Amino acid sequence: MNITTERFKETARQELANAHTQKFLQILPLRLASRRDSAYQSFPDPETAHRYGQAVRDESIQRLPELLQVFETNAITNGARVFWAEDSRAANGYIVELAKRQGVSYVTKGKSMVTEELGLNEALAQAGIETWETDLGEFITQLLQRPPFHIVGPALNIPVEQIRDIFLQKGVIDTPTTDPVALGMAARRFLREKFRDLQMGITGVNMAVAETGTVINVENEGNIRLNKSSPRILVCVMSLEKVVPTLADAMHMLRVLCRSATGQAAGAYITLDSGPKRSDDIDGPEELHIVILDNGRSAAYQDPKTREALRCIRCGACLNACPVYGKVGGYPYGWAYSGPMGQVLTPALQGLGKTGDLIRACTLCHRCKIICPAGIDHPSLLLYYRYKDVVGDRALGGSGTGWRERFVHTLLSVAGSDHRLWRLLAKIARLAANRFRSGDRIHSIPNGPRGWFSSRDLRALPAKTFRERWAQMDQKRN
Amino acid sequence: MKRVSLFIPCLVDMVLPHIGESTVKLLRHLDCESTYHPEQTCCGLMSFNSGFRKEARRLAQHFIRVFENDEWIVSPSGSCVNMVKNRYMELFDDDPVWFARAHDLSPRVHELSQFIVDHLGVEDLGGTRHAKVAYHESCSTLNALGVSAQPKALIRSVRGTELVELTGADICCGFGGTFANSFADVSTALVRQKAQYFLDSGADLLVMCDPGCLLNIQGYLDRHHPGRRALHLAEYLAGSIGEKAQVAT
Repeated sequence: MNITTERFKETARQELANAHTQKFLQILPLRLASRRDSAYQSFPDPETAHRYGQAVRDESIQRLPELLQVFETNAITNGARVFWAEDSRAANGYIVELAKRQGVSYVTKGKSMVTEELGLNEALAQAGIETWETDLGEFITQLLQRPPFHIVGPALNIPVEQIRDIFLQKGVIDTPTTDPVALGMAARRFLREKFRDLQMGITGVNMAVAETGTVINVENEGNIRLNKSSPRILVCVMSLEKVVPTLADAMHMLRVLCRSATGQAAGAYITLDSGPKRSDDIDGPEELHIVILDNGRSAAYQDPKTREALRCIRCGACLNACPVYGKVGGYPYGWAYSGPMGQVLTPALQGLGKTGDLIRACTLCHRCKIICPAGIDHPSLLLYYRYKDVVGDRALGGSGTGWRERFVHTLLSVAGSDHRLWRLLAKIARLAANRFRSGDRIHSIPNGPRGWFSSRDLRALPAKTFRERWAQMDQKRN
Repeated sequence: MKRVSLFIPCLVDMVLPHIGESTVKLLRHLDCESTYHPEQTCCGLMSFNSGFRKEARRLAQHFIRVFENDEWIVSPSGSCVNMVKNRYMELFDDDPVWFARAHDLSPRVHELSQFIVDHLGVEDLGGTRHAKVAYHESCSTLNALGVSAQPKALIRSVRGTELVELTGADICCGFGGTFANSFADVSTALVRQKAQYFLDSGADLLVMCDPGCLLNIQGYLDRHHPGRRALHLAEYLAGSIGEKAQVAT
């Protein structure tokens, strides 16, 4: 998919002016967040469950190279075929080639952010292979050709009238309706046809279990289960950080994942696949292909700090907690991953060249860090990226900084190390700012912080600093 | 009697010095002896948050030199306390000598309300002030320092004061330092929301523990809702004990 991370501010402005987006954002993230909070209360000890999940992800990432090898060995023993894809091109190439070799004319897909990352649908289309998204939300965004608005609910923001219109246009329904149930049933009927003679299904992976070689998917619509059980060939695409050590670890991660994502104790369908159909199985795919995607992750792994972004389990809880996401929604983040998880993951994979706004579009409120079931310290990571960007770090593709900003911070640090100079600077700043006062307010400063004054005043700076007032208080006392 | 070293953030020193004065007044009321190092400048928060670590280190080293012999370091700013208490160690993570000095300093730095409630063991200042108050949970204070019960207990203890419910009390006001300027549209949407929740709460005053939030929220109120007031917890509490403090002087 197209990366538009560098247009964050522009897209954010559009979304802030979009009345529908704003109305929607007033309701949904808050509702999801409160559902998550109450679901967590169903743990006997929520805080311990939270920390246990973080510990599982900690171990998973620390042991990542070894766990991946164990996973591969066990998956192969189970009869799966494992393909290591270095980048999107390799992954798409493998899948397209497989589809062509098998002579399939179309594939179905379960919702997966990793295939959004790959731009797999576009790659298949170029090879003349049709793709049908089978998750209702993803189906809608596919028909509308929109990027996902939320990693858990890609079409959460689409008004029902728009769904009606596109369904009519694409022949999913014949008679107009805005009844959500009727629309859902129509999509189900439409997609059921695609499953009937399905040759090849593609899904993402929520978790891969090293000790058993199992891939696990969580969903609420049953479409992933159909994707996995009805075709002759099943392709499961996983980004390489999805592995966990044991089945017991996976069970705990499912508990925190479902609670964090949708406020459920468990998703309606949780599917575990250990290899393709065996001779005594009644159904299942004849071939199971597991594509393990790197796409910059090994490089990110080299740096113990950026490695932290790989802990993410894609629950989306940080999106619902984030004040910035809560105002601008998912589009400004410009790639498959939005909200705080996108802000830490996208720069790790894409570098800092186009993500300068992404790493700064944060007030450092820490809510994401507190809510994260994987134990990511997003604020700390964003501060690290900012540092790497300012110094023009080569590995991350930092772009350095303008002379003006550098001058300000150099001046701050020089003056701040000598309190006499600091006082002088403070005095100059006060005199300069107060030149623009009207009464006791400053409404704007020419060539000053325009963004600040676009909606806020500043009170005229007081004649005496605290230090000067302290000297007087001190004198009075003695 | 505790001897308190005042950590007055640069923003308070230059822009909001009355918060510093209120802090002194409160500490005097609590029988603490305040000291103030006139050599203090800026903790480096802004440089650190902007990615200028080399510059932030220089400021942090200056801060540590100035404060490292003090036993109780108290500041009326959650975000600056978080910087010194938690971020300094991150800033010096590859410098064992300065890391150790930052690590050593960390447990001695306290946010004002936390110091009063947790370390002085005082939850009631004995003041009186007739007002309906809403409390804004500043992000650094709440999420980074875990301080929330303390300021609310202190507000509740004031005779004649009613602490009212504030919708979205723990949602960011949109300040975020340079964020407020460089992402002005998003920041404005957030501060507008905060102001609206404040107006809806029916409170007379919006009280908080961070001068950054205060600058932002008051700046927005001044422009769009003149006459409505936000103020720092220290100011609110100092106002409630007005007379007794004068007697004590």
